[in-house]
Amino acid sequence: MTIYIDVLFWMRQKRWFLIAIAYGLFMHFGVSPPADLNPAAFDALIIISMALILIITEPLPLPAIAMFMLFMQVVLGIDTANNVASSFMNDAVFFIMGSLMLAVAIVSQGLDKRLALGIITLTGHKTWRIVAGFTAISAILASFIGEHTVAAMMMPVGLTLVRYANKDPKKVAGLTAALLFSIAYGATIGSIGTPSGGGRNVIMMNYWAEFGAGSVTYLEWIKYVYPMVLFQIPFTVIILLWTFKPEQSNLDSAVRKLVIDVARAGKIKGREWLAIFLFFLVFLGWVFLSEDFGLGIIALLGVFLYLAFGLVEWQELNRKTNWGVILLFGAAISIGIQMNKTGAAEWIAQVIIVNLGKVINDPAILQGSVSVLLTGFMSNILSSSATVAVVGPIVLDLGGDKILIGYATAIASAFGYFTAVAAPACTIIYSSGLVKSKDFLRAGWKMGILSLVSLLGLSLLWWPLL
Amino acid sequence: MTKKKLLVDPKSLKFLTAVSSIEYSKPTLKMGALIASVFDASHGVVYVGERASGFHGSSVNMTRQNLDNWNIIHPGLEVLEWALEEIKKMSPENQDLAKIKFNPDHVHEEDGRVRVILPNDKGSRIELILREGELVDQLRREIQLEDYNLAIIGGSQNKRHLAHSIIQYIPCSIFVLQKFNPRKHYKLLLLVDDSAATRKSVEYGALIAKKLGWPVRTLTVSKTKRFGEGYQGAADLTKAYFQSKDIEVEQFFLTGDPVRTFVEFAGDNHFIIMGASTLNPVKQLLFGSKPIKTLEQTDVPILIVR
Amino acid sequence: MFITADMIFWVQQKRWLLIALAVGAVLYWFIPHPESLGQDAYHILIIILMTLILILKEPIPLPAIALQLIFWQVIIGGSTANEVGSYFMNDAVFFIMGSLMLAVAIVSQGLDKRLALGIIRITGNKTWRIVTGFTAISALLSSFMGPHMVTAMMLPVALTLIRFTNKSRKSIRGLTASLLFAIAYGAMFGSIGTPSGGGRNVIMMNYWAEFGSGSLSYIEWIKLVYPMVLLEIPLAAFIILKTFPPELPVLDTAVRRLSAEVARSGKTTLKQMATLLLFGGVLLGWAFLSENYGLGSIALIGVFLFVAFGLVSWEELSKGTNWGVILLFGATISIGVQMKNTGGAAWLADGSVNLLKGLIPNIDALRAVVSVALSGVLSNLLSGSATVAVVGPVVLNLGGDPILLGLASVISSAFGYFTTVAAPACTIIYSSGLVKAPDFLRAGWKMAVMSTLSLALVGLVWWPLFR
Repeated sequence: MTIYIDVLFWMRQKRWFLIAIAYGLFMHFGVSPPADLNPAAFDALIIISMALILIITEPLPLPAIAMFMLFMQVVLGIDTANNVASSFMNDAVFFIMGSLMLAVAIVSQGLDKRLALGIITLTGHKTWRIVAGFTAISAILASFIGEHTVAAMMMPVGLTLVRYANKDPKKVAGLTAALLFSIAYGATIGSIGTPSGGGRNVIMMNYWAEFGAGSVTYLEWIKYVYPMVLFQIPFTVIILLWTFKPEQSNLDSAVRKLVIDVARAGKIKGREWLAIFLFFLVFLGWVFLSEDFGLGIIALLGVFLYLAFGLVEWQELNRKTNWGVILLFGAAISIGIQMNKTGAAEWIAQVIIVNLGKVINDPAILQGSVSVLLTGFMSNILSSSATVAVVGPIVLDLGGDKILIGYATAIASAFGYFTAVAAPACTIIYSSGLVKSKDFLRAGWKMGILSLVSLLGLSLLWWPLL
Repeated sequence: MTKKKLLVDPKSLKFLTAVSSIEYSKPTLKMGALIASVFDASHGVVYVGERASGFHGSSVNMTRQNLDNWNIIHPGLEVLEWALEEIKKMSPENQDLAKIKFNPDHVHEEDGRVRVILPNDKGSRIELILREGELVDQLRREIQLEDYNLAIIGGSQNKRHLAHSIIQYIPCSIFVLQKFNPRKHYKLLLLVDDSAATRKSVEYGALIAKKLGWPVRTLTVSKTKRFGEGYQGAADLTKAYFQSKDIEVEQFFLTGDPVRTFVEFAGDNHFIIMGASTLNPVKQLLFGSKPIKTLEQTDVPILIVR
Repeated sequence: MFITADMIFWVQQKRWLLIALAVGAVLYWFIPHPESLGQDAYHILIIILMTLILILKEPIPLPAIALQLIFWQVIIGGSTANEVGSYFMNDAVFFIMGSLMLAVAIVSQGLDKRLALGIIRITGNKTWRIVTGFTAISALLSSFMGPHMVTAMMLPVALTLIRFTNKSRKSIRGLTASLLFAIAYGAMFGSIGTPSGGGRNVIMMNYWAEFGSGSLSYIEWIKLVYPMVLLEIPLAAFIILKTFPPELPVLDTAVRRLSAEVARSGKTTLKQMATLLLFGGVLLGWAFLSENYGLGSIALIGVFLFVAFGLVSWEELSKGTNWGVILLFGATISIGVQMKNTGGAAWLADGSVNLLKGLIPNIDALRAVVSVALSGVLSNLLSGSATVAVVGPVVLNLGGDPILLGLASVISSAFGYFTTVAAPACTIIYSSGLVKAPDFLRAGWKMAVMSTLSLALVGLVWWPLFR
């Protein structure tokens, strides 16, 4: 008798899993792919949609979903096991792995506390000011060194503040979300500000050169785009505070505890200086060497140095790194590559263009909306660099002012607000386990609107002046 | 005579004994417990086991977890359980001690080591700790973590190699118990010179002599026939200190190579007490120091005081 | 004082790291590459040399070694990060990850008590039959599920049996050793029986596919190799009983108490049945679907189902999985592939053939000897899988029949009988504290001789019937 109850209970808990499977089977066996889409591409899209359902409803732990994405590619025959595996691991996954581990290492040295204290001295103790401070600092830093790095650096700081506010994170879910998202979204909105803010910016600059659109200097890019960054900062803060309603209006007690703890740790010791120095080295590596070696390799080099100098133990890294998230990120990248290889990505792009073309007659507006909507949507699934890589050529071929279209695309590819895998910054804060998938949706749509409006304003009001 | 400030404050001392196996660690453990009671110090017992190679560490852990389900405990915990029983046996009249029970399920993993939680531990101040890794590295970490004042280690076959590492890298006073025979009558041999560490070692020596009643001798060695003011002064102060504690002391002044003279004089019936070296670490690494060389060459228990 | 005791301590502890780096630096900057070897290939070999030194001496944790394997390939090996990444992950690494997780999932269900009952029923209570039974069952199980799982499940049975004899440890040293080694050695030579028996098998299959050397199906592998496993079972049991003569000829008290203890644990639960069914499904998948999907994908499907059905939680899996090892395997395989791509493997292969040509004129025998010797020796220092990852490309470049040579190399990589650190089964029984390092040597050399002779026998008599 109890067996039946067990089974029924399982079915209730995992109902979304069963729904997703049913949907997948139906689509694969019951629906034939459109004429211009090859079966492999169709299967890739089925897997992605199933994964999206599972990621949003979370009936299974994320790492399980990651594995699902990987082996379904093999089972449905999209590619061989070895090729799927190859597509899993690359510099981006190395980077996520490395930065998560670096974060663990930094926390184990207690550096995050000192950084937190430093920031709070600037912003004061009122919660809204701290959230604003985090957003602004993340945005400005990210515009120069990239959202990846900033998210990795700031997350331990945010987590420290959260922990000091209340030992039980569930009681301060709003505050937690506000702080963590201020980092993630701050980094994301900032990453468009300069060419060095993100790989996608560089990809677009490449395409401009290839498509004969001319070249853009570092400063020109800033002139065109930075105003949007500055404009979005205060509004992002408002959105965050409005969506997540922090439970405490000031963090006096948290700050007090932080001050005491930092004082108790005493002056910065030799090991801590070494930790700071090593991180500084990694940072320099990211700024100057990442073109030659890749962001990920440098991150791994950083972790290696921390391990070799005995600043952190492998057991701690093993235990505290969120391996499930790394798996998930790798799986998402892998399926993104498949979407590209099988032609599914192009197909989606074409479909959207054709359909929008029926509605919007003005070619300029068509171009603009296509590039923005398409890019924005896809970059929530693929990485922003992959999106720009795929969508860039399509959009630049539509005609019109290639430079402006290019800017719009690069900016829109940063609209990765909606899911945990949309952008590395989102993945990084998700890996803390303190924010849920639906949090991304709740704030994401508002951010989406804010960014679209800002981009519209920028293109209609600012660019014509230049 | 003005009363000098005690360098050794007997109220808050923490001692650490390192055990390795039931067969070989009995003398070390007994001495450790004895010394701890002499100084009324809290006593930690640490077992440093071998760490499985990185390749198979997780398989070993998985197996250990499985063994837990069968009530088979870690070999190190077995040694710690034995150690607790031995300590209890040494003070059968101590009721508080007898009440402490060892429960292998009550272990807490923290800071890279496993600590056995002993309920009913009122005032007896015993700690049981399990660690894995290289001996000197793990001892160092434990001492830095808990701020022990004295580490008690058994002699080992690898004496030459370990001597250097132990003395140079362990950041507190060390008591190396070699060939310790509990039935033998030892005399305390205090090595006196004009270094700062001598004062502290004198205080240690006095406490031990007072509580255990062993005869005390001091030895001062000079390379030349002359004994300078520093050495002579130190020896005088030492005698004065012992006299103020009502302890008889014989004083010896010899000439020759310090280390060889210590070793020959100590023979096999003295406990040596000496201060740690004040050479900087690089010189110690390259050239050794008096304590290191003494430990390498002598066979008797030796206490090096920092 | 600028140089503190801490720093000196660090230098002393990590001296082998500094030595490895120094060796690499000297070779890289001062010694030019031999003419027959390309520059990239030379750099790859330098990286491998540094890594071998680091693995042998372990001055830094293994995962750190994996990390340096990755970034050196990019910094001096001439690859891009994405290239390294793409070689890093393949079906073999999926398999290693998946099988480690499956091991955690299955072992945590507590099925070993059922297993114990079953074993005792078959073997009875005469000691020699129990030892032989342990050897046989460890070998048979390990050939399908790998040595980790089997050792983790069988060790408690053996230790409990020993405890229930109620004799002091010193008086039953022989009995203890014979039971423990029966498990460990049985698990070791059994793990080559099928592709799913060990990560090293899948690594070799992966190399065959990458290098275009052909392939073996699950069943074909069993046909070629299982006879050797069956042959070794009685021989190994004999060696173990002779080297560690048990002090008690009959274990009736212990067996009776063990049966009572096991019977007390109650009926098989739903979770346990589900586990058995699921694992059976995975085995069938390996046997029949692995050519299409790859052993690794099937392992991952298995893990996925375990998690989906709530038989194990992700936290348990993550805690029990040694991600550093997975990193290390990915890294060594990626460099193995690079060795082949840059021509470094071919250079090493030619070099060793030329070196030994004088001693062994017959080219086939020469090739066999090189494969077996390289793998056999290295596997006592590194783990078997790491050995195959590094030696595999060289062996497959010797010429001759790559399938048979590859098999010979894989089989010899299981000969890690001598040391306590090389094979997981040995490390596990050593960690119990009941066997000492010299014991491994005493029995190990006999096992090595017996295994080599069995391999020779199977290689000369059985394999030619098929290829």
